[in-house]
Amino acid sequence: MVDKRSLRSNKRSDSGSSGNKKSGDSSKLAKSSTKKAAASKKAGSSSSPKEEIPPVENGAEDIEMKDDAEVTTPTAGKRTEKSEKPGDEDVDMSDGKEGDRKEEDPVVVAINEIKENFTLLERAVSLFDARFTLRVLRSLSSLRRRLNPEILSKVVAETYPGDHPSSRRLTAAIGSSASGMDLDSPSEGSKDGGVLLPEIDIYLHLLVQIYLLDQKNLETGASFSTELVQIIHSLNRRTLDSLAAKVYFYYSRVHELLPPPAITEIRPQLLASLRTATLRKDIDTQATLITLLLRNYLQTSHITQADHLVSKTLFPESAANNLIARYQYYLGRIRAIQLDYTAAHNELVGAIRKAPQTAAAAGFVQAANKLNIIVELLMGDIPERSIFREPRLEKSLHAYFLLVQAVRIGELDSFFDTLNTHAETFKKDGTYSLILRLRQNVIKTGIRMMSLSYSKISLRDICVRLRLDSEESAEYIVAKAIRDGVIEATLNHEKGYMQSKELLDVYATQEPQEAFHERIMFCMSLHNDSVKAMRFPMNQHRLELKNAQEARERERELAKEIQDGDIDDDDAGGEFEGM
Amino acid sequence: MADKELKALHQGLINTVNKGDYASASRGLSSLKIALLQRNALIPSPTTPLATLLHARDILEIGALTSIHQTDDAAFSRYYSQLQPFYEDPRLSTPKTASMNRSKITGLHLLLLLSRNDIADFHTTLENLEAPEDDPFIKHPIMLERWLMEGSYDKVWNATKSSQVPSEEYAHFSQVLVGTIRNEIASCWEKAYASLPISNAKNLIFLDSEGAVIQFAKEKRWEVKDGRVYFPVEETEKEALASGTIIENSIGYAHELETIV
Repeated sequence: MVDKRSLRSNKRSDSGSSGNKKSGDSSKLAKSSTKKAAASKKAGSSSSPKEEIPPVENGAEDIEMKDDAEVTTPTAGKRTEKSEKPGDEDVDMSDGKEGDRKEEDPVVVAINEIKENFTLLERAVSLFDARFTLRVLRSLSSLRRRLNPEILSKVVAETYPGDHPSSRRLTAAIGSSASGMDLDSPSEGSKDGGVLLPEIDIYLHLLVQIYLLDQKNLETGASFSTELVQIIHSLNRRTLDSLAAKVYFYYSRVHELLPPPAITEIRPQLLASLRTATLRKDIDTQATLITLLLRNYLQTSHITQADHLVSKTLFPESAANNLIARYQYYLGRIRAIQLDYTAAHNELVGAIRKAPQTAAAAGFVQAANKLNIIVELLMGDIPERSIFREPRLEKSLHAYFLLVQAVRIGELDSFFDTLNTHAETFKKDGTYSLILRLRQNVIKTGIRMMSLSYSKISLRDICVRLRLDSEESAEYIVAKAIRDGVIEATLNHEKGYMQSKELLDVYATQEPQEAFHERIMFCMSLHNDSVKAMRFPMNQHRLELKNAQEARERERELAKEIQDGDIDDDDAGGEFEGM
Repeated sequence: MADKELKALHQGLINTVNKGDYASASRGLSSLKIALLQRNALIPSPTTPLATLLHARDILEIGALTSIHQTDDAAFSRYYSQLQPFYEDPRLSTPKTASMNRSKITGLHLLLLLSRNDIADFHTTLENLEAPEDDPFIKHPIMLERWLMEGSYDKVWNATKSSQVPSEEYAHFSQVLVGTIRNEIASCWEKAYASLPISNAKNLIFLDSEGAVIQFAKEKRWEVKDGRVYFPVEETEKEALASGTIIENSIGYAHELETIV
């Protein structure tokens, strides 16, 4: 019975809503970059669900990363800067493309779009296919900008039967300026058949939640989210998973924006939900919650707790790419603080590589790159110059560029100059304490430069060049550098000089082999990761089996025909292609 | 009434500590901890009255300092962990109720981590602190760590002198730190110098007499000859190929290639 209903509704949506669909698509077009635009256009033009699938999934990631950009950017100032960029683009493009559709009432369009999403959700439930839900979530970012109380209260009124508890909660949260909603609510509500899917219920809650967040109505948003999370926690439906993950995301976001105690207060709830999600094998929610908890801990600098969480939980491998990227970023941060720079570097490179290349994810990529630069410096490497030339990184990485220059030259003075002038930036980025650790690297580089340029230099000169306090300190520092293998030299205490040893031929050592090995391992893991990241359509192998069987039959026929002796080359070629 | 009892015990503890009688103080502490447990105050919970919590925190802080005086590092770490929830509690960190001893104890904890060479934990703890350099108690271990890392051992030596430490408890770690830097310097010498005159070595390694230097050299198995310390010449590294790793790597590549093809 449920199936029939949902089928009917599918038909309705397919036939009746093509006009609206187009408008939705055009706004999507506007939102995403040109590359993505091509993909979503394809989605819009093709009506069969099968072909729609790949772009849908891409799109869903798109949205998530947008959130990412917003969340992982530590500074409020930068966030606005970034979120404005795509916004501006949007206006320009939609002016060009929507053009003739302007006379349509935006409220009606939005409401229709929301309704359309209901049918998608229904389909997701009846077919038990998460892709439809993902598609609904994809439209969130375009819908989000158009939400207003009028739309929301109308939709709420039309969806719920009059006295539904959710309806009251939602209208209370919206703050209901529209009082005329009661007019058509009874008739519309009954039309939907009384039984309301929890997915639709939660989806509407999610819309209101996002609306409250966008309106900076944080107090209401927080209490509303808390209630909502409790509702979700009590429901156990697999088709709800990706919606639940979103709800938790905004739940955490709202509390984060509130003054301090709020952020620690949600931890028990997040942990409890994580436990439930793990038990239910709810991968979306599980991955989201782990990243949220890590973020939560890191914001209050509870590194030890974050580390414990990482060691006690298993991050689901099949989680969405952007969640993995986020997880790796946080992990990189923890490892960097724990001085495990190699591990931090690996995680951060992974995070940067996995982050999508859209403008929406710029904030995330910037944050990850900043951290990565510092980690590379701490490891004694100098980051590649090309990173600083990338247009979307150039501006935000400027302070880091100066820092790298200072470290590379090995001048303590310019290092501290940069540190002091940009102290605020570094503190905001949360890299300040890591940068302070760089001091010793600067000194080491300085000594190294000197040992390379002079075969013999007095300790007094070293002391003057490095602006150290005393010759005595210089002697200890150089001795330590020699022991740590930074330079190859010997000291003569009585005469007070450092004598550099002859440079070794690097190619006679194990060094090249190790470097080679490292690169090979990197390529291997890149290959293995790519294999793991590939998606295979369900049941494709059965299709192949069928194809193979057909091919075999054809082959048999072919053989028969050859035996009969009447076959020409064209046929054979065609058959071959068919295989 | 019960709180009066706690207060009396607390006051008694303060008196014993002021007298410097740490042995009896630690005995008093165990009975006080039981008293705290009975009042559900060993771990701050929202239901415990604020006054009791303040007592509890103070008692634990005294316990931490006492264990430092008794050079009981493990006990100090326990007290430190027990104090963390008190420091995190928003009720206990208002300007009125904030602890006077917090930075002192945190600084001691940092120093303990440093003396154990647990640098990762050291930085993790540091990350938790706001504006760490403004506090003399915290700044001390931070500077020590920085000097240790860059190799300014003479500065570490100066800082560990009793006149330089921010409070008497810090002096307890000086001995450990001096031992650490001596070993560090010794390992640097082995690489950096061919030989050193004993008279210079004495100053460089912060020992009082040349006899102590010779003793130290014997421990390290250095050769002492004609008033100089000779460091063992390193055996030239074997240039032989590390066949084991090469074989291992090649097999690894072959295996991976096999899975790709």
